Amino acid sequence: MKTRLLAVPLMLVALAACGGSKRPPVVKGGPGGPSATSTGRSDGSTAPLPSDSGPDVQPVDNDMARGEDFTVSDPETGEGGPLEDVHFDYDQFSLTDAARTQLDHHGAWLKAHTGAKVMVEGHCDERGTVEYNLALGDRRAHAVRDYLVSLGVAGSQLQTTSYGKERPLDTGSTDEAWARNRRAHFSVSR
Amino acid sequence: MERTASPSRASSSRASSALVLGGALAAALAAGPLAAARGAAQLPPPAQAPATTLIFDPGGAQRVAVPDCIPKRADEASREACRTITQVLRADLKFEGLFRFVPDELMSAIKPLDPEHPDFTDWRGIGATYLVTLQAIVNGPDLQVEAKVYAPESGQTILSRRYSGKNDAPRSYAHQASDEIVALTGFRGVARTKIAFVSNRDAPAKGRQSKELYVMDYDGFNPRRVTVNRNINILPNWNPDGRSLSYVSYRQGQPDVYVASIYEGRSANLTNGRGQSFAPSFSPDGKRIAYSSNRGGNMDIWVANADGSGAHKLTDTAALDTAPTWSPTGQEIAFTSDRGGTPQIYLMDSEGLNVRRLTTVGNWNDAPSWNPSKQYSEIAYTSRIEGGFEIAVIDLASRQVRQVTLGRGSCEYPSWAPSGRHLTFSCGRGRSWQVAVADRLGQSVQTLTGGSNKNEQPDWGP
Repeated sequence: MKTRLLAVPLMLVALAACGGSKRPPVVKGGPGGPSATSTGRSDGSTAPLPSDSGPDVQPVDNDMARGEDFTVSDPETGEGGPLEDVHFDYDQFSLTDAARTQLDHHGAWLKAHTGAKVMVEGHCDERGTVEYNLALGDRRAHAVRDYLVSLGVAGSQLQTTSYGKERPLDTGSTDEAWARNRRAHFSVSR
Repeated sequence: MERTASPSRASSSRASSALVLGGALAAALAAGPLAAARGAAQLPPPAQAPATTLIFDPGGAQRVAVPDCIPKRADEASREACRTITQVLRADLKFEGLFRFVPDELMSAIKPLDPEHPDFTDWRGIGATYLVTLQAIVNGPDLQVEAKVYAPESGQTILSRRYSGKNDAPRSYAHQASDEIVALTGFRGVARTKIAFVSNRDAPAKGRQSKELYVMDYDGFNPRRVTVNRNINILPNWNPDGRSLSYVSYRQGQPDVYVASIYEGRSANLTNGRGQSFAPSFSPDGKRIAYSSNRGGNMDIWVANADGSGAHKLTDTAALDTAPTWSPTGQEIAFTSDRGGTPQIYLMDSEGLNVRRLTTVGNWNDAPSWNPSKQYSEIAYTSRIEGGFEIAVIDLASRQVRQVTLGRGSCEYPSWAPSGRHLTFSCGRGRSWQVAVADRLGQSVQTLTGGSNKNEQPDWGP
């Protein structure tokens, strides 16, 4: 398991170094989150490992080595955290290309953090009824879950729930507010 | 203490005769909610009335006089109780929409009422078909109210009641009297009914958003909080016994169906995390609960016994099925499904068979509520109309649709009064939502809640 322990921080560093990050890492040495990269899916298999001779690094038995101790994130949006919200079109539960790109990173993170349990919450904008939106949120959460499982994430890491329109991020009634509220949110516990 | 008046609740009589919606309603539909004559809103009661009864004739000349309550002793407490009782009884009777009233100017033009021996000649002279007299006296913590209904034409006493109890809720005395007076017409009064609703009024300004359940009198007074778990508690639905509410709570993480015994302050989780469960609805006999659940992998309609046992699936499609509501007989269930591509309302029998689509107009019809009165065969629901959401009602015989709300923002979550003559719903947008009540045709709409928070998802109970 040593190589696995080693691979995770290296992969994360690699991710952060790939550029295209929407914002600077919030904590020095932190994971950098699943921010956008130009390399598509990152499942950790591409992280460079020394292979010529004997090991030139060894695992450091220190919590800091996991690079995830001080993740600073907004619990409402997941911003800055490992798994940001993904968004949906109005009255839709199919995943947009942008959502798939984000979820590719979420999938990589989840496979690298198999101890993490995630509640996928489906949310909706305020238009439409309470009842319908609860069902729509359920479908959104399941669409996200199904996609993550298709990437190889263990189903046991994922639970789903729906809040419909009961917990908006933005209580405004504008197109922007509605767009923010149509989301799958990831509540991570370890 | 829910009510202080001593007499037992008047037996409510509901008409069972089949009634045909006539041309007046069709005219109302064509002309929009504001144009129809008020009298068209009400259908006459059955003719099996007892001897002591009020003749209900909305188009006729009948007038009810409700002069000021007379304190039996001239102390301020008795006067204050009298003022409240007069005001509330007048509002209650007006709300029912069954009566026309003798104007105040005419009542003040005759000599003051002697409640024990009214001068019927005077009251006949100002056109009072019925005279309601009220007297009240406060003795320390106690309040006693006497209500009588006379027919000045014959001098007959139609109703005579004495209500004794505590003086902490004088409004309830007037509500009791109103319901007994309405019962004389053959209709069921709603003055003592309660409305459950959801509000974020007690949520902290910052941090986790929470919604709690509340109940209030039908006129918006006396709101009381039911849930206190500071989580999301939504979708209330009364048990027809008026003592418990089913609802959905996230208090254990996942949305589950709960039943709260509101006067005992207990609640029980009926679904216990078996899938996510929403939109509970008690059967008319209170013995079963229909709800929607994804327990079987997809959102379907389920039904269980009132304690949650014996849960089984009624629908089984890949579509989204939710928002069940029972017919007055309990033999049918209406629900929302998007199996046809858009959310529409469907009917089935309560075993899940014989499914057929009800709504065909519009591309979004959802959240049905079946009128509980067998007098009116109709279902209220939420409909997307010109980009907004409005309350609409569909007549089950003619399939004609009428729009109840207009220009109040988005409106949703319709729920009928037990009488079937009024309904409640919530309207608003963004941060501000309010609970409103309206008559069947939407001619008169009153807002019951206020403030800049969300007061929504009302369910009208017994």
